[in-house]
Amino acid sequence: MESATYRLHRGTIAASLLRLPPGFFFYFHAMQQTGRGEGGEKAACREDTGRIIMSASWKQLQFQILLLLVSCRHIDTKTPGPAPPLLLPSGSLPTDERSAVLEGESHTETVELLNPVNLSLTCTWTGNQDKQPNVTASWRKDGEEVENSRVTVRLEADRYKLTRVFSIVSEESLGSYSCLFGSEAKIEFILAAPQVAELRDKPIVSYLGDSVVVACKMEETKPKPNTWNWYKANGTDMEQISAVGEPLHYEIRNDERKTKLMVQNLTEADGGLYYCGAVYTISTTMGHVELKVISFQEPLKPFVAIVIEVIVLVAAILLYERSGSKKSSAAGSGTVDQPNTVTQVENNGPEESSLTRQQKI
Amino acid sequence: MPPAAGTKLGYTPPDGGWGWAVVFGAFISIGFSYAFPKSLTIYFKEIQEYFSVSYSEIAWLSSVMLASMYAGGPVSSILVNRFGSRPVVMVGGLMVSTGMVLASFGRTIMHLYLCVGVIGGFGLALNLQPALTIIGTYFQVKRPMANGLAMAGSPVILFTLAPLNQFLFDSFGWRGSFLILGSIVLNCCVAGALMRPVNRNTKPKSGAAPERDRPSAEEAASPDAREQLADLLTGKHQSSRGCLSKFIDVSLFKHRGFLIYLIGNVVMFFGFFAPVVFMAPYAKHQGIDEYSAAFLLSIFALVDMFTRPATGFIGNSKWIRPRIQYFFSFAVSFNGVCHLLCPLLPGYAGLVVYAVIFGLAFGMVCALLFEVLMDLVGAHRFSSAVGLVTIIECAPVLLGPPISGALVDIYGEYKSMYYACGVFMLVPGMFFFVMHYFNYKRLDKEKKQSVAVHMRTCEEALKPKMNRDGTRAHEADR
Repeated sequence: MESATYRLHRGTIAASLLRLPPGFFFYFHAMQQTGRGEGGEKAACREDTGRIIMSASWKQLQFQILLLLVSCRHIDTKTPGPAPPLLLPSGSLPTDERSAVLEGESHTETVELLNPVNLSLTCTWTGNQDKQPNVTASWRKDGEEVENSRVTVRLEADRYKLTRVFSIVSEESLGSYSCLFGSEAKIEFILAAPQVAELRDKPIVSYLGDSVVVACKMEETKPKPNTWNWYKANGTDMEQISAVGEPLHYEIRNDERKTKLMVQNLTEADGGLYYCGAVYTISTTMGHVELKVISFQEPLKPFVAIVIEVIVLVAAILLYERSGSKKSSAAGSGTVDQPNTVTQVENNGPEESSLTRQQKI
Repeated sequence: MPPAAGTKLGYTPPDGGWGWAVVFGAFISIGFSYAFPKSLTIYFKEIQEYFSVSYSEIAWLSSVMLASMYAGGPVSSILVNRFGSRPVVMVGGLMVSTGMVLASFGRTIMHLYLCVGVIGGFGLALNLQPALTIIGTYFQVKRPMANGLAMAGSPVILFTLAPLNQFLFDSFGWRGSFLILGSIVLNCCVAGALMRPVNRNTKPKSGAAPERDRPSAEEAASPDAREQLADLLTGKHQSSRGCLSKFIDVSLFKHRGFLIYLIGNVVMFFGFFAPVVFMAPYAKHQGIDEYSAAFLLSIFALVDMFTRPATGFIGNSKWIRPRIQYFFSFAVSFNGVCHLLCPLLPGYAGLVVYAVIFGLAFGMVCALLFEVLMDLVGAHRFSSAVGLVTIIECAPVLLGPPISGALVDIYGEYKSMYYACGVFMLVPGMFFFVMHYFNYKRLDKEKKQSVAVHMRTCEEALKPKMNRDGTRAHEADR
């Protein structure tokens, strides 16, 4: 339990340093430089001995108090959505905390993770009208109950609190973790790596022999992925695209938060679903884009149709005019006298008289 | 009462009949000219990705197109003076179509600048001028109405093109869309076919003044009686002096009304288009989501669409028509006031109210924009006038939005931009009011003088004719 205590201890420092963000991040950056992996951790721990050393039970109590304080901070930020971006970067399996307060029926919280971590999840429930002194609570992962997680929680300071530490090491560990109080109140933590920004839901259209650029990006507010990978859907499975393997056909340009896949010399086979994967230590999140490759005949059809329509209309209008003028010239000079009388009328009459044209349609 | 038709010289405009078909043709031409560059912005994002260029390089495409359209104004006027409206519009339509079709095969962004920007923009210029000019030849009494209806083409076609462009883009990508747009734009040729040259029964009424000796056959008419008489007095009717004057009427720069219009418009255009451009960004800045922000623009376009013909109708009424310049001044000032008050309106509801009022104001100004120019210079010189006006307006139209953008960047919020635009519109509005007050006084004085002259000359003519002129003089003296 020694190392676990030290992990908690680091968490304690972290919590207390909540009030000093710059120093806090610097501290953990410095920590990051030290060991990785279990062996390295011991070395890091030795460096920590310079810090405050307390007895185990005192640390435990202090941790609980500080965790309560952390929970209280979260009470202020009741809006659903991601927890405050308190990302504790790594060493291997550092500790992180997330907590949420439930006042109604259910609540969902999204937790973004980049790296493997020991995540401590705390659920605080204000209780219902009954306010039983004890309530049975349990944890579930993805709907299935976690072993040995069923405990009885006591009502303390008008709240029920449940905490558990989960070891998130790989993609399988991600998912939905929920704490259930009795059979009614549920707080759900959704653990996932940052999602790729929403791309077009409609397919990108391009032409045979042409080239196309398919892009994916990660929002500015989310952390940068380590790298990007591209996959092409091949039936039911995905095949990774390697630009080096086919330099004439594919080109991948990665740029921290953006990635571009350039496909040249498109063929019919290039159409289909493409996946871009943002690679984080803990898992890879995917976004997908559909590419449609069509031949140039496709737009040509409406083009020709409209051109024909225009030609027909222009010819019709001009012919109509031609026949109209032929009629009036056949009528002879009878129409010449008209304007004189009409304009006379216009002079004497009121404003709104509309004049008749010679070639009235 | 609207002014009596120019029966002394030239011909009488039909004010109906085939004129309404011409209005429809002008509706299409003007609509494409204004709406087409705006609707192309839908493709910009993908083109930007495809050619791997920055956002400003893509925005240049719009600017090049707009600049070509405005720079092509005088050339368009010269061609219209020479050949009439119909051939020019048809050639314009063909040019835009060719530009778009060539652009669909483009391999570099330069190719697009040339095809869409230069050729396309120029073609649109060849569409705009003749459409405006021909309305003046067909209408005199109902001209404001006809102008209002024709100018309504811009919002209607924009409203149609925007979703159509989106649909084309989703189905065919940008290349296919350009190809199909090339064919759609060819409908301007249909509009051109409708623009039959007006038939002039060139039999002058009383033979008192000689027919004008002008190079343009189409613009020989002089529907604006006041303008005619003023010119008679000052002897400006021989405008075919000098080489340039043969093509375009530069003596317009000595024309009082034209100068007032020009100066006011140049200042006004600095603040005219920027609020439209920044409406959606301002809404998003206030925290409103993208769809509601876009909806604001739709409200604006819808109100605009109905305001233009309505303004034309009001402008045609017997109370407004004789003093239509005041109506225009009011519209410009109204715009200014609207922008000054905009930042005071809170929340989304406030923005909706602003969009409605702005739509009203914008529609009013657009509907009257060319009508008042026609009213000032007369239809025969309108073609040259509009050519000169567009090329001089080119600068404020192109500089307006970037300057407003710079204001937003400097102050970090939009209020200062709205205040600036409000001032840019209110000052010309006041300027117009004041200057036109004096202008009307001068014109009325000149008319009285010329009528007196006319009466004297007519006394020497046949007696029956003099009686008729006497009644006409009474009418003019109201």
